[in-house]
Amino acid sequence: MKFCLKIAQETVDVDVSSLDGKQDTEFTIGEEIYHVRYKAISDSCLHLVVDEKSTEVFVVRGEQEKHIFINGQTFSVQDDDQFPSRPARRRGIEQAPGDVTPPMPSVVVRIMVKEGDLVKQGQGLIVVTAMKMETTLKAPNNGRVIKINTTVDAKVAPGDILVEIEKEEKSQ
Amino acid sequence: MFKKILIANRGEIAVRVMRTCREMDIQTVAVYSEVDAAAAHVLEADEAVLLGESEPSKSYLNIDRIIDTAEKTGADAIHPGYGFLAENPDFAENCESSGINFIGPPSHVIRDLGNKTLARTIMEKAGVPVIPGMLKATTDTALLCQEAEEMGYPVLVKAVSGGGGKGMRVVSAREEMEEACLSAMNEAKKAFGDGSLYLEKCLESPRHVEFQILADRQGNAVHLFERECSIQRRHQKIIEETPSPAMNPSLRKAMGDAAVSAVLASGYVNAGTVEFLLDRSGRFYFLEVNTRLQVEHPITEMTTGIDLVRQQLEIAAGTPLPFKQQDITRRGHAIECRIYAEDPEAGFFPSPGLVLFHQEPSGPGIRNDCGIYSGFEVPMEYDPILSKLVVTAGTREAARMRMIRALESYVILGIRTTIPFLIDVLKSPEFAKGDTYTDFIERHFDNWSQNMEASNLARIAYIVDELTASTKPSAGLKERGCPTPWETLGEWRM
Repeated sequence: MKFCLKIAQETVDVDVSSLDGKQDTEFTIGEEIYHVRYKAISDSCLHLVVDEKSTEVFVVRGEQEKHIFINGQTFSVQDDDQFPSRPARRRGIEQAPGDVTPPMPSVVVRIMVKEGDLVKQGQGLIVVTAMKMETTLKAPNNGRVIKINTTVDAKVAPGDILVEIEKEEKSQ
Repeated sequence: MFKKILIANRGEIAVRVMRTCREMDIQTVAVYSEVDAAAAHVLEADEAVLLGESEPSKSYLNIDRIIDTAEKTGADAIHPGYGFLAENPDFAENCESSGINFIGPPSHVIRDLGNKTLARTIMEKAGVPVIPGMLKATTDTALLCQEAEEMGYPVLVKAVSGGGGKGMRVVSAREEMEEACLSAMNEAKKAFGDGSLYLEKCLESPRHVEFQILADRQGNAVHLFERECSIQRRHQKIIEETPSPAMNPSLRKAMGDAAVSAVLASGYVNAGTVEFLLDRSGRFYFLEVNTRLQVEHPITEMTTGIDLVRQQLEIAAGTPLPFKQQDITRRGHAIECRIYAEDPEAGFFPSPGLVLFHQEPSGPGIRNDCGIYSGFEVPMEYDPILSKLVVTAGTREAARMRMIRALESYVILGIRTTIPFLIDVLKSPEFAKGDTYTDFIERHFDNWSQNMEASNLARIAYIVDELTASTKPSAGLKERGCPTPWETLGEWRM
C-alpha cells in the first residue's frame, strides 16, 4: 500500500507492507525502513512498537487532516488523496502575494490606510483583535493599496482578503 | 461562613474557586455568556445563570447584571477570580453597597492600588523602592513621547489601570512610540475601561519576583514566600516557579518585609500579590500590587499546603488569620506552566477553535487546573488560557523533569497550544541553570519552531489509524445487534 503524506508543506511517499498478513508491518519512508507492530487502544489512542521502541500516540480526524500527538509534539498530517487541497476559503480565489489576510478569526479594530495609499513593506495596515490581544497586519511588500475589503468591527477569518496591494512598478 | 457564592468569572479559575467552595459545603452560582453555555465552569457549578451576549461588556463585565444575578439567586458573596472585574473598584463598591460580600480587598484599596501611579506614591512613602518613572498618567500621546525623550529609550509604556501585560509595550525607539501608545491605549480602554498611560524606565533583563500576601480584617498580614515569574511572552507570564532560583535567605527576608509593609501601608485586606523586579545586582523595585488571586497561585498552595481560596473566603467572612509569619513553612519546589490556545510558531497568536481531544497528565506531584474538555469550542472572545499545569517535587531539578514528563503526556488536539514550546523551554540548559530573566524568550527562543524529529512516526501513526479504522474498540460495549431493555423486559412490570 502506498500513501502520500504531507506534514508542514513537505510531502513524502510512504510504502507499507505486512510481514505476517496482520499487525507485523514494514514502513518505508524515503530511505528509512521501520519495523512496526501496532494495536488500537481506543478510538483515538494507538500503541506503536517501532523498531522495538514502544510509543503511545493519539490520532484524531480534523477537517482536512489528522491531528497526531506524540510525546507532547503535535503534527497535522494530510493525505492528498483523502483530503484534496481546497482553494482559499470563502472567496474561492488563490491568495495573491500582495493580499493581507488575518492569521485567525478576529475582529477589525483599526484600518490605518486607505485605498490608493502607497505603503512600504512591513508598514502596519490593519489592527485586528482576538482573545483580547491586538495584532497589526503588515504590508507584505511595497506597493499601492488597491482595495480594502473590510470595515472596523467586522468579524474576519483566515482566507478573507482584507487589503489588496498592487506591487509597485519598477519604473515608478 | 457564606452559604452561597457567585463566581463572576469563567474557565479554569471559576472551576478552581468552585472546588474549594464544594469542599467547604458552600453552594456555587456560575454566570456565563451565550458562547459559554456548556463551558467547564457552568458544568461545575450548582446553578448557572446566563448573563448575555458573548462580548465581555455584555456578560462578564456587566456589573449591574452580575449584582442582580447575585441578589436573585440569593448569593451572599461574589468571588471575582482574576481578570474581568477582579480589580474593578466600581464593581467592589457596587457589591459593598448592595450588601454582597466582595471576596477581595475593600473598593478604596483596589482604587488606590489599581492606579499604578498612586500606588507608586504610596510605596515610596512606605519606604518600598520603586522604579524611576512618571507619577502621573495621561492620554496625551505627545506628552508621553516628550517624557520618553527625556527619560531615554527604551521605555515601558504602561496602562495606569493595567494588569496581565495588557496595555503595556516596550518601546525602544522614537519611531515606534506613537503607534505603541495608541495601541496600548486602545487595548487598556477595552480591557480596563481606562486608556491612561504612564512611563517607566525599562530595566535591563531583570527577574520578575513576587510575594503572595494574606491580610485579615484584624490588621494581621503575612507573606507566603515568593514566586519567580520571569518567563514571559508579551509581558505575560507563561512559566512560574517557587522558590526563585535567584533568592537567598537575606534577600527573601528583605523582600518579604517590603511586601508586608506595602500591604500594611495600603490598608489591604484579603489575598494579594506584591510584584517586584529584581535586577542583576540583587536590587529590587516595587512594580505593582495585584489585588486579586493570581493566576499562578497554585505553586504557592502546593509548597505551603495552604488553600488560598479558602483563606480568601475565611478572611472575607471576618475570620482572623489562623497562622503567624513564623508558622508558615514550605516544602520542595513547584513549577506552573500556563497552557494557552496559541500558536508559538506564529508569535503566540491566539488559536481558538474546537478541542477534538483532551487528555490530562496524571501521576505523582501533578495538578492541572483546567477549563476545557474534549469537544469544547474555545471561544475567540476571551483570554486564551486553557489550563495551568502544576508540578511539585523535592528539588527544582526533580520538578523540572516532572514537568517535562507531564507536558509530554498532556494531549490537546484540534487547536494549537503552547505545550511543545514549553517542553523546549523546560529542556533548555538556560532554564535548567535557573538563568531566568524577563527577556528569556526573546533571547533564547526567538523564531522558535517545533522539533520535527518525530514526523516519520506521525506518518506511521496516520497510516496505522487508517489500517485499524474498522477494528477500533470504542468506549462501552457495542450496541449493534443488541436488543434494547424494552425488548428484553417482556411482560415484567415495574
